[in-house]
Formats: sequence, structure tokens, C-alpha cells
Amino acid sequence: MEHFKIRDLSFSYSGNSEKKNLDKINLTINKGEFVIICGRTGSGKTTLLRHFKTALTPYGKRSGEVLFNGVELEKVGAGEQAAKIGYVMQNPDEQIVTDKVWHELAFGLESLGCEQKSMRSRVAEMACYFGIQDWFHKSTAELSGGQKQLLNLAGVMVMQPEALILDEPTAQLDPIAASDFLNTVRKINAELGITVVITEHRLEDIIPYCDRALVMENGKIIIDESPKGLGKLLQEKKSPMLYAMPAPMRIFCEADGRGECPLTVRQGRDWLGSELGDNPQIKELTEPEFNKEVKAPALSLKELWFRYEKDSPDILRGVSLNVPQGSISAIVGGNAAGKTTTLKAVCGICKPYRGKIKIFGKALNRYKYGELFNKCVSMLPQDPKSIFVKKSVREELYEMTNDSEKINETASLCGITELFERHPFDLSGGELQKAALAKILLSEPKLLLLDEPTKGMDAVFKKSFARILKKLKERGVTILIVSHDIEFLAEFADRISMFFDGGILTTDTPQGFFGQNSFYTTAASRMSRDIFKNAVTAENVAELYLKNKGNTYEKVR
Amino acid sequence: MSERSIDNSMKQDAFSKYHPAVNLLFFAGAVCLGALFRHPAYLIAAMCSSLLYFFALNGLKALKTILVLLPTLIFITLINPLLNTRGNTVLFLIFKRPYTLEALIYGAVVACIFFITVIWVNCFGKLFTADRIICLFGNILPNLCLLLAASGRILPKLIENSKQIATARSSIGKGGEKEAIKDKLALRFKILSALTSVSLENSIVTGDSMKARGFAAGKRTSFKPYRMTYCDWLAAGIMTAMLAAVFGVLLGGFAYAEYFPGFGIAEMNGRNIAGVLIYSGYLLIPSALQIKEKIRWSISRYGI
Repeated sequence: MEHFKIRDLSFSYSGNSEKKNLDKINLTINKGEFVIICGRTGSGKTTLLRHFKTALTPYGKRSGEVLFNGVELEKVGAGEQAAKIGYVMQNPDEQIVTDKVWHELAFGLESLGCEQKSMRSRVAEMACYFGIQDWFHKSTAELSGGQKQLLNLAGVMVMQPEALILDEPTAQLDPIAASDFLNTVRKINAELGITVVITEHRLEDIIPYCDRALVMENGKIIIDESPKGLGKLLQEKKSPMLYAMPAPMRIFCEADGRGECPLTVRQGRDWLGSELGDNPQIKELTEPEFNKEVKAPALSLKELWFRYEKDSPDILRGVSLNVPQGSISAIVGGNAAGKTTTLKAVCGICKPYRGKIKIFGKALNRYKYGELFNKCVSMLPQDPKSIFVKKSVREELYEMTNDSEKINETASLCGITELFERHPFDLSGGELQKAALAKILLSEPKLLLLDEPTKGMDAVFKKSFARILKKLKERGVTILIVSHDIEFLAEFADRISMFFDGGILTTDTPQGFFGQNSFYTTAASRMSRDIFKNAVTAENVAELYLKNKGNTYEKVR
Repeated sequence: MSERSIDNSMKQDAFSKYHPAVNLLFFAGAVCLGALFRHPAYLIAAMCSSLLYFFALNGLKALKTILVLLPTLIFITLINPLLNTRGNTVLFLIFKRPYTLEALIYGAVVACIFFITVIWVNCFGKLFTADRIICLFGNILPNLCLLLAASGRILPKLIENSKQIATARSSIGKGGEKEAIKDKLALRFKILSALTSVSLENSIVTGDSMKARGFAAGKRTSFKPYRMTYCDWLAAGIMTAMLAAVFGVLLGGFAYAEYFPGFGIAEMNGRNIAGVLIYSGYLLIPSALQIKEKIRWSISRYGI
């Protein structure tokens, strides 16, 4: 049965009428379907999703129509829409309206004028379904990002919607919280038969379970396929979106595989096994060497101990790390483990009560004020918004220096020249990150600290971000990244350190590090570990596959 | 009793497990009566019982508040005769005006009333978190209550955001730790303006989230996490009866106390003894519940 039907929908935001943000969209979504919309930032995904609910529809020039259950959406009353079409957005924090968890859960029902008794039972039911009884009476401010987003979902589910519209709901979450959230969405779809329309960058967790995947480009739907056929279509169209797909699908396409496209790690492993057998001729690629001894490190941390308050537990308990000059090093590890605190200690924002920090051979406390941040160290904080204080990107850059030549050069390096006149807050997640990077690069740091730089970036953006980092590395800049994004690090970092239990546990090359791990590793490594050794990226696996088949591997893109 | 207890941040308190309406009834009665009685016996009863509950709620931290209040009380007591020269017994002349014993004592009475009110209001504030107020007034003023809940959300977030911006500034060497006051002020201003833009930006998302969940789509109701139970009705009944008795004594003029021109204070006859006892009984309800619960708890723990 048709749930949503979109006919010839075109839309452009007022002002630039020549550019169409949505261009003749025709789409039917059936009841109970699980549909993913993917596409690059700015391809019109959010604009399309906002047309699924009149209250959120943007202002602009529109033609075409949207039908909900066969009725024109605008003729469906506001209350009915609020109840039947649930909408969850990207930022977990800003969607929460009230100060208490119970109140947030009840908010929607209160708005609909629900009567006390049924409100009680519905709230109780949802709290149980989402496992939030334990924090029912907590303040919303106390929750973690993942909990907040689950609360937002529960706050919508409590109204018993027929359809859920989710707009990049996990962009701001760490990988574990994100896959928790997506599993819940999947469960809702499978157990309750609720229609789900979702846009996501993190496709690994949901592509295998969706019914259809739509790919958008420049306001048009260019592909509408089942996930099995998606890879081949993307490859045919040479779409950069292929890079965003789950590793098994990418390997299959890059290796020009035949038969049914694998979607999950298990399917991928089966496919690889059936093609190559257990013991192929070539098992590993030449591995980059790993020097444990670091001579003249750019940054050296020795036995750092730190806690935030007198009586709070120690966050850093003996952190030791050497970062070689001109390398891209990374620290991975669980949430709130102390990774960010380590970076703050390097900047002198947190003062460890024990231990030594040396930057380019000179102790941190020997640096005079201002000297440290002038052509030496700079840090990109987790939320790049927080370093912007001006009204345009240009003004932001001029805050750091008056040398316009330098500004132009840095801007073109980061690819933000065309963003100069925009307000920083109007930029997308990836653009914001690049602009922030440009801003901190203007102080010409030799040691660059990045805190979760790939959060909220789409896969294609990540690639161009990595290119910038590589260029910086060529100029001799040392980069230390703290991140959850292991897929990104496996491809672009030189050294990876594991942060656990208040200290750095091990340091190794990505191949060595992820090759040894069996859980905390990339999907490509999990898929190929029985057959290949140390193949940690999709490219690695595809290359080995092709070599074994007697073909040469060339990077398609 | 309503099925939930109060915030974890507060000490365990038995009275707060009752329905907010019962709590409100108690405090309304306590504050009104506290302000109306001038008779020393009633004042002492109110002083003692309010202090007892105050300590039960706050523990030894209560001492700090009381130490802060004390100078104010002494000041009120001493200043009253300067403003009010009535009274028969002149102690001495100051600024050519008589400083009378009656006015001094009356000053002490006013100070007592002030003290009692402050302590009760303080306890009230401790017990009445935003969600209790919302529960009480949600039906009458649903939008105002939502405003209250939303501001309870926004304020902590603002503080968090401003900290974040300040840290970010320091991480690029623009934190202004060792700069001149002028630059520091400029930095504060920058943070403030950035904070304003961030908040405005965020409020758009919050607004969308509200609209998406049907805000302003119809008449609001208000969810109540508390329920009136048998115990709540019983407590409310007993309290109302006691209040009626005490008000009877007060309005009947049996507990009269006059300080000008000379002292005219009702003697402690049977009616007043009963009045003081009921009054103290009423005011001691929260503390008594707490003590009862403590005893019960230890008995049940050691009685196994």
C-alpha cells in the first residue's frame, strides 16, 4: 500500500531560482518500507525529507505534490501529522526542548492534548521499549550524546507514528552509539512495521537491512535500487558515492566481482572464500616499516597524570607517547577515555600534576605565553563552530592574520575560497571543518592537533579532507588526530595508538594495529582476516584479490 | 504516596515523596501562619520546627545559611526602635529620640517572623523542583510551565556552550590569559556575541523539533509524573484539620499579643496550650516523617 507518493516535486529556496534544490522528484514509498536516501552534502536530501512534513517544509518556490495515505499532505491536519509522521534531526542536543527526560518523552503527547491516563501508559510503554526507565527522572543535560538521540527518537515514537523520517540522526554520535541507534531504528521497522525514510553517511550498519536505496545528486534521484544492485549501478555511473558504501560492496565492485554483491562482513567473507579458497598465493602486501624508536619527536609525553577536580578520579594515568616529526599519528579509544584531555594537556589548557610534555624538544612550561601558539601548536576542537566568532569566513581568517596573500594561499589549500562571504554557521559539517582548519593553519603550526575532525563529514568530503592533511604532511607539519573513525585512520594515518584505561596501550602502523585486532578494526580487515594478512582497507583487499586473480590493480579514482 | 522519590542530588526526604499538592498545602499553611502569629510561644514553636526540618533537608550545610542570616536578624532587632519610638519603657535617648524596650522586643519578633519565613521558603525551594511546579500548575498554565521547563534546559546549555567557546579560544592561542584588561574585555564580548549566534542558531532547531511534535497544533495538556494516592489524601485531610484548628485559635483572637504601648500578651491558658501543641504538631509533620522513615529503615535492616 502506498504510504507516501511524491509527484513531480520541484523546489528552490527563494533567492536563487535558477538553481533547483529539488528537481522533478517522483517517488513512491510503500507502507512498512525501509528506505535510505544517500548522497553528498548539498545534494538535496534534507530538503526532500523536510517535504515529508508540512510543519518543517522550507519556504521557497515549489511545484508538484506530496500525498500521504492518498491525501495531499497539506490537507492533513497539523495534529495528525505530528502524531503520524515522526521526524528526528541531526543534532541530538538542540532537539531536546525540556529539562527532564520524562517531560521530553511526554512533550509530544502534551502538545496533542492527550489525556492523563493514556499519556501515562504510552510514556511508560516507550520508556520500557527504549530501556530508559533508569534515567526517566534524570535531567536531559546529564545524558550522553547517544542517549539524547535515543530520547529524541523515543519522544517521537511515543506518539505512535506510522512513519519515521530521520535526517542524518547519527552524524554527531560516536560509532558505538551510532550503531546502537541504527539498530533501534531497524528494530522499530522490523517489529512494528513502521515506514522508515532515513538519510545517513554511515551506511555500513543499515544498507544491508534496507529495502531500497536512493541516491541523490543535484536535487535529482539518480538511482533507486535494492541494495544488492546498488554497487554495480554506482560503478557504472562512476558516482563518488561508491566510496561511501560498506566495505564488502566496495571491494566487490573494485575487484569487479561476479555474482551477488555481498553487503555484510559475513557475506563478504563467504564471497572472498568461494572465489579464492582458504589459501591464496599472495597473502599480504608489502608492509610499511614501523620504527618503534622515535628520534627527535615533535611531541613527547612522559607519564602524564591529570584529573579535573581534587576529588574526581584521574583521567590520565601515566600517558606516554612519542609523535615523530612529519607524521600523521592518531589516537583511538573509547568515549571519555581521556583522548581529548591529552590534547588539551598539550595545549596547556589542562595542567597535568605529574609528568612531562616536550614539544619539539622543549618542555611545555618553558614556552613563553603566545610563543606556543605562534608557528608552533594549534588545535582544532571537536565542535569547530566554537572557534568562530565573526560574521563571515573572511573576517574569521582576518582575525588570525592581516597577510592577505597567506590567507588566499591557505584558503585555496583547504578549498574554501568560494565560502569567503558565507556566515560560518551556514556551512555544512564538512565545510565548517575545512574553514576551521584554514583558520587554525593561519598561525602556521608545526604541530597540528585535530579532535574528531571527520565527525559529520560525508565519505567524499573525508577524502578531500585527507588530501589536505597529506599536503600539510608534505610541508613537514606533524599531525596528531584523536578520532573514532577507524576506517578513515586505517587509510590515512601513519601510526595509530590505542588509548585505554588512562594511558596509551600500544602504537603501531595501521596495518599492524588493525591487522592484529579482531573486533576493534575495519570492516575490510574483519572480512579478509582469514585469508589475507594485514589487509585493512577496502583498497588493500581489492588489490590483493586482483593480484591473486592475475590482474593488476589500478586505482579507479 | 506518589511512586517516585525526589532528585538523586538531594538527601533522602520522606515528605517529598508525597504529592506536590500536599507539599504545597503544608508550605502555604506554614508560611501564612508564620507571618500572622505575634505570640512568643507560637513564634518559638515555629522557629524550632522550621529549623529542625531545615537541618533534616540540608544536613550541616544548613549552619552556613543560618550564620549568614544571623547578622540580618540582629540588625532588624536593633534598628526597629530607631524607626519606631512607641512604647512605655524608655531605655535611653538616641538622636534625641526615645529608644524603647517594647520596640526592641517587637524588633526581635519581626526578626523571628522574617527568619521563619526565610527558612520555610528555603525548604520549599529545595523541595519544589521545576517538575513539581509544572505538575501543580500544568493544567492551569500549560504554556507558562513549558516555558519554565524549557528555560531549565537552556540555562545549563548556555553555560556549557560558553565554556566550550572559551576552551576553543585557548586552544588556538586566543584565550587571552595574560593580556591587558581591555583585551580581556574585548574577548569576553567576542565570546558573548558568538554565544548569542550559537544560541539563536540552535533555537531554530529546537523550534523545528517542537513544531515537528505538534507544538501549537491544539490545546496542550500536561503530563504528571505524580499521582494523588490514599496516603496523600489522608495527609492532606489531617493537615487541613490541624490548619483549621490553628486558624481558629488565631482568628478567634485567643493568641493575641500586643507590644505597644505596653506588653499585652495572651496568657497560656488551655486554649493556647492546645493551639501551640497543634501548631507545633503541624509544623513537625515533615521532620517527623523523616525521623519515622529513618527509624523504620534501621529496624528493617537490623531486624532480619
